Amino acid sequence: MVFALPVLLVFLLFSWGPIVKGLVMSLQQTNLVDPVKWVGLENFRYVLADPAVGQATVNTVWFTLLALLFGFPLPVLLAMFLSELRGRSWAYTTLAYLPVITPPVVAILLWRFFYDPSPNGMFNGILGVFGLGPFPWLDSPHSAMPSIVLEATWAGAGNAVIIYLAALTSVRTDLYEAAELDGAGIVRRVWHVMLPHLRGVLLLMLLLQVIGTMQLFTEPLLFTGGGPQNSTLTILLLIYNYAFVNGDYGAATALSVLLAVALAVLSAGFQLATRRWSTE
Amino acid sequence: MTTTAIRSTAALSASLTLLAGLVACSSAPSTAGDSGSGGQVTITVGDRPSSADPTNRAQFDKKVADFQQANPDIKLNPVETIWDATTFQAQAAGGQLPDVLSVPFTEPQGMIARKQVADLTKALKDDGLLAELNPNVLKIGQDQAGNVYAIPTAAYSIGLIYNRELFTKAGLDPDKPPATWDEVRADAKQIAAKTGQAGYGQMTTTNTGGWMFTTQTYAFGGTVENAEGTKATFDDAPSRAALQALHDMKWVDKSMGQAVLYDYDGIQKAFAAGKIGMYMGAPDMYRSVVVTNGLKPASFGVGPLPQQGGDHGTLTGGSVQIVSKTTTDAEKAAAIKWIKFANLNKYVTQDAAVTSAKNGVAAKQPVGVPGLPVIAADKYATYQSWIKPYVNVPLDNFAPYTKVAAEQKIIPEPPVKAQEVYAALDPVVQTVLGNAKADIPALLTKAAATVNAKLGR
Repeated sequence: MVFALPVLLVFLLFSWGPIVKGLVMSLQQTNLVDPVKWVGLENFRYVLADPAVGQATVNTVWFTLLALLFGFPLPVLLAMFLSELRGRSWAYTTLAYLPVITPPVVAILLWRFFYDPSPNGMFNGILGVFGLGPFPWLDSPHSAMPSIVLEATWAGAGNAVIIYLAALTSVRTDLYEAAELDGAGIVRRVWHVMLPHLRGVLLLMLLLQVIGTMQLFTEPLLFTGGGPQNSTLTILLLIYNYAFVNGDYGAATALSVLLAVALAVLSAGFQLATRRWSTE
Repeated sequence: MTTTAIRSTAALSASLTLLAGLVACSSAPSTAGDSGSGGQVTITVGDRPSSADPTNRAQFDKKVADFQQANPDIKLNPVETIWDATTFQAQAAGGQLPDVLSVPFTEPQGMIARKQVADLTKALKDDGLLAELNPNVLKIGQDQAGNVYAIPTAAYSIGLIYNRELFTKAGLDPDKPPATWDEVRADAKQIAAKTGQAGYGQMTTTNTGGWMFTTQTYAFGGTVENAEGTKATFDDAPSRAALQALHDMKWVDKSMGQAVLYDYDGIQKAFAAGKIGMYMGAPDMYRSVVVTNGLKPASFGVGPLPQQGGDHGTLTGGSVQIVSKTTTDAEKAAAIKWIKFANLNKYVTQDAAVTSAKNGVAAKQPVGVPGLPVIAADKYATYQSWIKPYVNVPLDNFAPYTKVAAEQKIIPEPPVKAQEVYAALDPVVQTVLGNAKADIPALLTKAAATVNAKLGR
């Protein structure tokens, strides 16, 4: 116990300290210079009355749904495809993982260039050859969020692929052989051998993705600054604006607390709902 | 809002500063240098150009060295901190600001109210600098009682920047930029039709949308906040007319191209690439458009801000130097010496003016770009005569602006929470440019409610 004490203290100080401090700040009005003023739940009232919070919540959930729809199945399929390739699969794995290594800022600047809305922009130029477009991509409130999802999926898929591949390598090869001997094609092998083995990982990744996408920040900040027309304003971007553009730390921490509570409830609910299925 | 400080790429450093700011909150360190008993004073000074900008960095470093040589009892510790809308509050709160820093005109009033900056009145009087400053511009950094908290070092008023080459190609006279918004509309239409490029462009993101909306509202005879800064005043006819003009250029004339999301850097790049005929901006954007982004100097033109329905005036902005609240009297005096040496000496001594101009020419930086004087008018005229032989910008291209700017009424930025107001107005402009069926009066009413909630907090 004595030996654990320093670790425990460091943990308390650096991990729980800021959390508690955040909770306290959500009840204060402060600019971190003048003496703090206790305002009770006033910050929460202000935040909940701000129409931008409603808009940001809708946008964030919309992004999460889009990311689940497109971003979640893609790495699973890629991993299965890669695990079916014997021999050169390392080369394809590397290709799949490459975008992850690209620093997000660089990737976003690159994609901003791709998304140039003029007819001779990169994507529009290519699509124009087939008589499509030009599309406004980031410059329309309808397509801005899907465009961000597309980039985020490209940037993040590699990570998930590696995790799924690792899970798939733990599948005993005799199971595949047995399945093949029984005349199972690729579809049935996927359904009866791969998916059951991935179930635990899939559930965990699903939860992580929901939590991760709920905290979307870098992409809207660098792509659109929350625009056009607030269509890509996410909760985290709003928290950032409250704190670092407006200097309103009370409102920022109040909204952070609300987001943390929502995510905690979501995670607990998710765990309860899937407990039976994941340990079956 | 300074015309050099808003950068989308600065967001990259924002997350780092976010961390640094939070870490620093708990310990509240002082950035003030130690003033030793031997009379040696050390101060940290911000705005050192980054290593990505070697020419300006070398020039800055030389200035620091020269200053230290002339003032052996003062040691400067230059840092790369610059003002940025997205990081400034965190740095101020975290005690991360240097002892001397340049901030835009939007900031001093809020900082004075929050007691975040040092009172420089006595130190300025002792130095004699107070008497030399332009009293109109000095108001930006004074409180109600007339105490001075910030020293203006650069000022501008917004005009209309235009591409002279595109004007010629479109059959327009490049020496006659549009003087009214009706003319802007007509010229934009002609440029779009004859050249295929956007006739007119406007900044819309990272608070620049609100900044330019404010400018345009002023040009249409409106205001954005009342004088006390307690209420939004833009939910009225001039703002509606300003937005209607934008709407019609975009959707009726189709003279604004496809792109809607321009920030400060983005619009200069697009303009320098010849994709935009005109946009609202200050003459000092010459540097970023021509020197940084490579537009031919001959193509750069700037006129006064077009007006509508009368001569209403234009928005002014600029930079002031602030001094950290934690400084001692000795450090304050040192800070003022440095501010004067780095920014203002050239206006009052011929040697400094000539040296500064020569250095600028040697470093291939623009010398002689017109602006608003931060010192008394007669002194400014003398200064201009000193640097005349070194001016390396095409002054004729600035002539349409300078002819009008000297007489034009200047209107300051919204007095309270300007950046928050600008942020709330960004989506209004984006909606008008992104949605042909945008309900302009409803947008303004909604934004006014948002701004009123912020002003009341």
